[in-house]
Amino acid sequence: MITDFAKHLFPRVVLGKNLKISYTLCLGGLAFTCLLLLAASGLLLLFYYQPTPVAAFPSILFLESSVWGGRYLRSLHRLTSHFFLVLIVLHTLRVVLTGAYRRPRELNWLLGCALLMLAVFEGYTGYLLPMDQLALWATQTGMELVQIMPLGDLLRSVLVPDGVGQPMSLLRFYVLHILIVPGSLLLLCFLHFYRIRKNKGVLPYL
Amino acid sequence: MLGKFLTPKVRQKKTLLSVAKAELPPDGALVYREARVALMRQGESVYALNLVCTHLGCTVNVTSTGLICPCHGSSFDREGKVLHGPADRPLERYQVEVVGDCYQVLV
Repeated sequence: MITDFAKHLFPRVVLGKNLKISYTLCLGGLAFTCLLLLAASGLLLLFYYQPTPVAAFPSILFLESSVWGGRYLRSLHRLTSHFFLVLIVLHTLRVVLTGAYRRPRELNWLLGCALLMLAVFEGYTGYLLPMDQLALWATQTGMELVQIMPLGDLLRSVLVPDGVGQPMSLLRFYVLHILIVPGSLLLLCFLHFYRIRKNKGVLPYL
Repeated sequence: MLGKFLTPKVRQKKTLLSVAKAELPPDGALVYREARVALMRQGESVYALNLVCTHLGCTVNVTSTGLICPCHGSSFDREGKVLHGPADRPLERYQVEVVGDCYQVLV
């Protein structure tokens, strides 16, 4: 099954027009590259980050001051996360402007929307992790916003059971940030790409 | 490169000061305001207190009864425990080692 899957990763023939870069600007592809870069740099950050309120910020100071390439790696992770979101939004804009959300690609449009929201959530959970003032108050703001949503109280008590910046909530944000959200992002990405393949490329007229 | 990343510089402890055993009076204290450290002796035990107040970082004054911060009035007993606030944590302690007939305070 796996060899079959690998065999069919790329179509046997590709329309030349499908490969024209000026149509998609490869924004989605660039965003996915950012995701891979984030995964790689994040994996290395895991070696030094400590997800407890007392140790989190010192562990980052240690990473930046005493680890070879530590500051570079953290900056890379942070900058890439910004680019990731910008590229996804631009990609969404391109999809809207070219009408690529229309039949037969409605499912892929929905998948894309889910990916956009997951990406924002991934950024939000990552924001708390350094535990500096910006992180704490930005997360506090987000949680106040969540509370006025329908089911907001439930969501809030799941995300921050003991208040923003307390041990349990930091741990939850950590697990969401490194495991659950990136995992779902990757899974949905592959579904997204599978649907492109099923829809015979990206051109508006099949 | 990965190896370089995974082997961080671990800070070596430095000797902050070195004091001859005879200089430290029994049940007394030697105060080094510039280095912000006090070497205390109580009976047999010898320890070094970091004089940085755990509230906002002023240098605490060592008096005969205890330690008092001149900025916001936090007071600590001779062991560094908080007697009353605003500080909420005891004074930090440095490691003291006996080398020959000297006490060495390590940071």
